[in-house]
Parts: sequence; structure tokens; C-alpha cells
Amino acid sequence: MQCRELDVFFEQEGLAPLSAAARQHLSECHACKHFFDDLTGIVAVAHQLPAEVEPPAHIWTSIRTELVREGAIREFSSERETALWWQSFTELFRNRGWATAAVAMVMILVAFLLGSKPREQVLQVQEDPYASTVTALSQQEHDLANMQLASTGEISAVDTSLRQNLQQVDEFIADCERRVREVPSDEVAREYLTNAYQQKAQLLSVMMDRGGSLN
Amino acid sequence: MSEADAIRLAQAGDAAAFEFLYRLHGRRVYALCLRMVGNPSDAEDLMQEAFLQLFRKIGTFRGESAFSTWLHRMTVNVVLMRLRKKTLPVASLEETTEPDEETGGPRKDIGAPDLKLTGAVDRVNLERSIEKLPPGYRTVFVLHDVQGYEHNEIADIMGCSVGNSKSQLHKARTRLRDLLQEEVREQARNDRQIAKTQTGQAD
Repeated sequence: MQCRELDVFFEQEGLAPLSAAARQHLSECHACKHFFDDLTGIVAVAHQLPAEVEPPAHIWTSIRTELVREGAIREFSSERETALWWQSFTELFRNRGWATAAVAMVMILVAFLLGSKPREQVLQVQEDPYASTVTALSQQEHDLANMQLASTGEISAVDTSLRQNLQQVDEFIADCERRVREVPSDEVAREYLTNAYQQKAQLLSVMMDRGGSLN
Repeated sequence: MSEADAIRLAQAGDAAAFEFLYRLHGRRVYALCLRMVGNPSDAEDLMQEAFLQLFRKIGTFRGESAFSTWLHRMTVNVVLMRLRKKTLPVASLEETTEPDEETGGPRKDIGAPDLKLTGAVDRVNLERSIEKLPPGYRTVFVLHDVQGYEHNEIADIMGCSVGNSKSQLHKARTRLRDLLQEEVREQARNDRQIAKTQTGQAD
């Protein structure tokens, strides 16, 4: 190997590992040995230089301010506070027993109100006597949908079956609601609707316990 | 939060994800900027500009290359663009791949007797010599020998071939050797001058 060839070798292969021919040449040529030692020394010192340096804190503040001004980033603080408040509330009903009990209590309350009022007053509150039940179930469904979005696992046969059941219950609830709207005095339809809501609450609780299987 | 999660959230405009990515890569980017321009004030400006560009374009990141490579490519572009705007002696990527005599650098005479640097290189004079390198050489040297990037990554960052990256690194190291030798000679001259002065005073 000649001096020029060694230079090409350093360029293409770097300083390590050296080929046998390169080592042989270095043992015979003092100038190339000096060159090699110098480059090795430079690289060794370069490795000691810090690859990371802590930037001043104000840089991030400036970047953030500019991005907010441009509308490139969103502030989530208020949304997060709402989410945390709601999460802690709904967490209570994640347990199947609690959720079922809550829906049942709402329905008992509705039934109590309907039963304790004179007929004419009952007709007045019949505008939407299940509003609170529907709201509670909607919130449960919303939570379940969020859980399902966060979940990346595979959908099992049980989950598929639960979803089919939920769909059937939803269709039955829709029929009952329509019937109650058309004939507010239909007590059988009301009873079916109450049972359907209860069934839906149970289904949602089971699905939540399984980690979310809506959609 | 993983980097991939943060990228996905940042693409949706999540402020916390932006900050996570900044904290993850900021120190490395700042070190690169600092070494490229040599002063903290310019380095801060460049770092800010690089991250602003990154966050403005993060929606276009598709993961074809590593996120850090993408970020460094943007940073290097911002830095080189700034250096081109200044009236500093700038050698472009193409120029730095030309033979040394065309960039005005000292000639490299392999096999010729020269000053041996062993023991004379320390972090201070190396940092000083790095600042004197043409930007193209400086970028490759800092990315490879200081920050530890591989040639294929540097090629991606610089938009050049792997062979080009290797060639530039070798030339950068050789140029650094020349600069350091010059510094050692200068130091020796100063030492002799001081010794001569002291001898004169003693006489």
C-alpha cells in the first residue's frame, strides 16, 4: 500500500478497523503514522465534546408563544379540566353494579314521580319523563366510545355479541319511545321502555368492564 | 408518552406533545446550532427558527426517516441558510467536496514530514479549530464525530450521498489537523518570543 492509497482507505473506511495492508504501511511510514495518530487524537477529543447542551429556558417560551399566535397549537387546559371532572364522575359508574343501580334509581324516581302525582300533573310531566335516564345512558355510551377509541386490542366474539345485543336493545328502545310518544297513556309500552333502558344500562356496564366494545 | 405518540398528537396540534418533542431533542439541536455558529445568541435564534419550522411542517412528517434525522435536516438547512446570508466565508456542500486547493485550504501532503500533534489537542483548541472549518465540513464533522451520527444518517440530513459524507468527514479531519498544527506553531512562536523577551530583560 502506498501513502495515497492509505489516504483513500481512511476516507472510505475510516480510522478503524485497519486492514492488514494499512497496518503494514503504518508500521513502515512514519509520516503516515503521525497523520493517523493525529486524526485518531482529534476524533478522541471530539468524542469528549458534549453532544447535548441545555438551551436557555426562554427559547421554548418564545416558540410556544409564536405557535399559539399562529394557531399551530391548541391549549387543552380548560378541556382537560372538564375531562378530569367528568372522568372522575363517570369512573364511579364504570363498575357494572354502580351503573345499573344508578339507572335503576333514576327509573324508580321517575316511576315514583309519575305515581305520586294526580293524573293531570302526570300528563304534564309525560312530556319527557325518561329524559334523565336517557341522559345517563348517553353519557355512559359516550364514555364507552372514548374507551373504545383508546383501545387498540382485537375485538373478541363476546364483544361482537354484546354489540349486536346493544344494537337490538337500541332498536327496541326506539320502538318503545315512538310508541310512548304516540300514545302517552300506553302503560305496557312504558314498562317495556323502562325494562329496555335497564337492559341497556346492564349491557353498557358489561362492555365497560371488558374495556369498551362499542361500535 | 412515546415519541411516536407525541408526533401523532403534535400533528393534531397538542401543545403538550410539542413541548415533549422539544424537550426530547432540544439539547441536541442547541448543541449543533451552538457549534455551527459559535455564539449563544445566534444559536438561540437558529434553534427557535428550526423548531418553528419543524412544528409548522409536522403535519407533513410521514415517518420515511427517523424524526431526529428530519429535525436535524431542518436545523442544518436553517443554519446553512443563515451562514450563507452572512458575509462569512462560506463553502457550499458542492464546494466542500472539491479538492482542497479549490477551497483555499491548506494542502494535505500525505507521507510528508510534519508537526506531530500528539498531546497538543485539547477540547478548547479543537472547539476553536472547528469554528474555523468551512460550514460543510463543520456540519459533517460535528454530526459524525461529536454527535455520533452514521454516514447514512448524515447523507439523509445533508441531502448527499454516503460517499460524499465520508469524503467530507475525512477532509474535515485533515483540515482540522492543519488548523491545529497552525495553532501549535503559533503557540510555539509565542513561547519563543516570550522566552527571548525574558532573556533580553535578564541580560
